[in-house]
Amino acid sequence: MPISTEELAGGITRVILDGRLDIEGAAAVDLPMNVIAGSKKAVIIDLQNVSFLGSMGLRALVAPGRAIKGRGGKVVIFAPNELVEKVLKTSGVDTLIPIHHDLQAAITALQ
Amino acid sequence: MTSNGKDTVAECLNLPSRLPDLARVPEWIERLAAQYSIPASTQFAMNLCLEEVLSNIIRHGYSSKPDQSITIHFSSPRENFFVFTVEDHAPAFNPVVSAVPPVLSAINENPIGGQGIRLLRQFADALEYQPTSTGNRLSIGFSTAHSISAKE
Repeated sequence: MPISTEELAGGITRVILDGRLDIEGAAAVDLPMNVIAGSKKAVIIDLQNVSFLGSMGLRALVAPGRAIKGRGGKVVIFAPNELVEKVLKTSGVDTLIPIHHDLQAAITALQ
Repeated sequence: MTSNGKDTVAECLNLPSRLPDLARVPEWIERLAAQYSIPASTQFAMNLCLEEVLSNIIRHGYSSKPDQSITIHFSSPRENFFVFTVEDHAPAFNPVVSAVPPVLSAINENPIGGQGIRLLRQFADALEYQPTSTGNRLSIGFSTAHSISAKE
């Protein structure tokens, strides 16, 4: 699963995931997500190009999210599709990592 | 769901108990979806539930031993309804009645593990468990008569 980052104004890092966040995808992003979680304090996880999210994929989002928040940082999820959002909400991830569908709102939430 | 003897098994997939081999499942579902005109939202639910069930069998039921096997039967017992029946030879485990931990929360550190079973129950339209003489049989049903979002 491709993962890339983009540095936005205000010290915000946008992490862009692309593809299926299944077992294979989760394994592929695990290390880079942990590196980001250990070094960034304001993170947007961009899921707009993620077509599938399974329970192993949840781990790849929640563990870094908790790590960022544990260091006093903030993290939000941006633009999941309807089904991916249902997975996030069914498991309660949205209470840990707020979901935004408007990029400016996501940025504002991190400031 | 599968014990009436009237189901026609249309397809069968045998998998070794190795996580990398689960990559064959989405390809299989995609082919079935094309053959049976299964909508994308139902494919998503099928992938989600099978990934959860199969990975649980491999990691927990078989304790990651790579020389075990899992068999998945696919059938369509009636119009707009599809069933995957997963059979293994692992110790008995019934995901239909097993306890599920609370949803994740901002105010505690609930473990992430266990959410998969919650997802299975939410995204499947029918679940039926039967212990077998050598393991487990779990039937997971999906209806395409309504959108997946209708279960919300």
